[in-house]
Amino acid sequence: MNEKGANIDLLFRNGLKDFEVLPPPGVWDGIHSSIKTKSRPIILLRIAAVVTVLLALSFLTYRWSRGLSVGPSGPVIAFNVPVSLPVISSPGDNLQYLPTKKYNQLNNSSDILIETDDQAPIQKEIETTAYPEQIVNIKDSKSLSIAKYETIAGLFLTPLNESKRNSIKIKYPELQYFPENITVKPEKRWSIAAMASPTYYSSFNSGSDALSKQLSAADQPLMSYSGGVAFSYKISKRFSIQSGLYYSSLGQKIDGINSFSGFQQYANTKGDHNFEVLTTNGTVYTNNPDVFLSTDGTNRIVTAYTKDVFDPNKASLQPVNSSLDQNFSYLELPVILKYKIVDKTIGINLIGGLSYNLLVNNSVYTTIDGSKYSVGDTKGLNPLTLSSSLGMGMEYNLSGKLSLNLEPTFRYYLNPFSITTGSFIHPYSFGIFSGVSYKF
Amino acid sequence: MSEIKKIIKGCLAGNRRDQELLYRRHASKLYAVCLQYSGNDEEARDILQEGFIKIFENLDHYKHEGSFEGWMRRITVNTALEKFRCRHNLYRVDDIDTIQEPDAEPDNQDYAGLEADDLLGIIRELPTKYRMVFNLYAIEGYSHKEISKMVNISEGTSKSNLSRARVILQRRVGSYIGIKKKVANE
Repeated sequence: MNEKGANIDLLFRNGLKDFEVLPPPGVWDGIHSSIKTKSRPIILLRIAAVVTVLLALSFLTYRWSRGLSVGPSGPVIAFNVPVSLPVISSPGDNLQYLPTKKYNQLNNSSDILIETDDQAPIQKEIETTAYPEQIVNIKDSKSLSIAKYETIAGLFLTPLNESKRNSIKIKYPELQYFPENITVKPEKRWSIAAMASPTYYSSFNSGSDALSKQLSAADQPLMSYSGGVAFSYKISKRFSIQSGLYYSSLGQKIDGINSFSGFQQYANTKGDHNFEVLTTNGTVYTNNPDVFLSTDGTNRIVTAYTKDVFDPNKASLQPVNSSLDQNFSYLELPVILKYKIVDKTIGINLIGGLSYNLLVNNSVYTTIDGSKYSVGDTKGLNPLTLSSSLGMGMEYNLSGKLSLNLEPTFRYYLNPFSITTGSFIHPYSFGIFSGVSYKF
Repeated sequence: MSEIKKIIKGCLAGNRRDQELLYRRHASKLYAVCLQYSGNDEEARDILQEGFIKIFENLDHYKHEGSFEGWMRRITVNTALEKFRCRHNLYRVDDIDTIQEPDAEPDNQDYAGLEADDLLGIIRELPTKYRMVFNLYAIEGYSHKEISKMVNISEGTSKSNLSRARVILQRRVGSYIGIKKKVANE
């Protein structure tokens, strides 16, 4: 039995050695989606980090802007403009009073409340030892006029001596005080702009291997476009920060790939996968069963048919084109800092910043007589890329609120579009954004 | 660096192309293993999918010592065994006490007509427990002691299962060859 057993064992061991069976289609998709799902938390963490940075920037900007307009916090009465006002002296005391009509009353008596121990209308002296030039005229028990302020912004009033009878207790609110003879126009810090640009797209390839050189040699830039809405906040006279939402469509033409239509009738000669074309930005997968691809003298079509297996000319397939167009669409969230170099009717800005770009669509097609013939899409693209931008902005002020903008901008992608490319390919684009902005 | 090392490195870096390349290169061989261990195609497909997910997840544990293909095969077999252990109670092992040993085993020349497809078909017709033990012993080369731990049975049961599996296989190989000859003569 043992010998017989060994024979039957050998029969199966040798017979099944190196035996292969093609797995059913779709298994890889299940495996890949499972691997992808597990890597998703990293992407979510990245997005969370971006949101945190943006929120932090917004908060800092808000704090900064408040700091510039209000000044120190606490019991402060701020005087924005130094003024020199006449002072009336009253004989018999060393108090000085200001004629109320010449000086500003606080419009809202509730801004400063004065409480006295008795209800008699009095004019009280506010301690002047700390600030001898500071005289206050108290018109009645419920209102207070600021008298003399030769002054500097942010003059402090100190609480009165508690030991004095009839002393005045002041609740110090935060307020701004502007003498009435000086008009201060609130500055328009916000602006909204609609911008659009044709974009020239290409890439730097630092790969030294023959394949990456071969791939990049066949890439031709396609004219692309970008456009969107931008919000800008003026932080100071020269600096402003800008964000917004842009949609950009970039692409490239891949030469040397011959496409034919009419392959569907020969579909039974194909395996369980379609054509795969290597590009500098991922791998193109055909999902149109009617398309047949071939190439001359290069090995960039991974799944190419040799002519002895299938010859499109012998099969009378219809030639479509000798190149493929690869297109990527991104939603962009920029954070841009602008520095105003020239602040005149025509202003000039230096622009620089970063942008997070979310891939929303990609397609591969070829054209025949001006119409698009869908081929498939590109796999292995980075869902999120980071780009830096540098530019020079020109701003022509049509009015106080409206201006025309022209911003030649160079953009360099810090990470490549594709996560599958072996070489170091960093795309870049150049566009001249133009549009209108409105200040408010 | 060898090509497989480059592919492994790419897979570890999350490079989708390398992952797919690894799959495409080895899926056919591993799927044949899955079919050997499973009773139906759907189960084989599940084993292949789960096995490859484990391969990608544990790729960083591969020390580049020994055959990479052997390492992947072991993971696939272990995945099949896990599935078997999960469903152990669902399977009914045929009572084959009545199965008689064939009078004569076909000689080696008779085996010549058998293709790998035929052998796979025959092995998949075995009851699950026998199939597991036969595969582990005859194909993978494990000892009964190892099999007893892997399948959670005693060594004696492993031996008995192997013996019964062989009986069934010999009988079916014999009848299969007979049918083939008959068809050929016609």
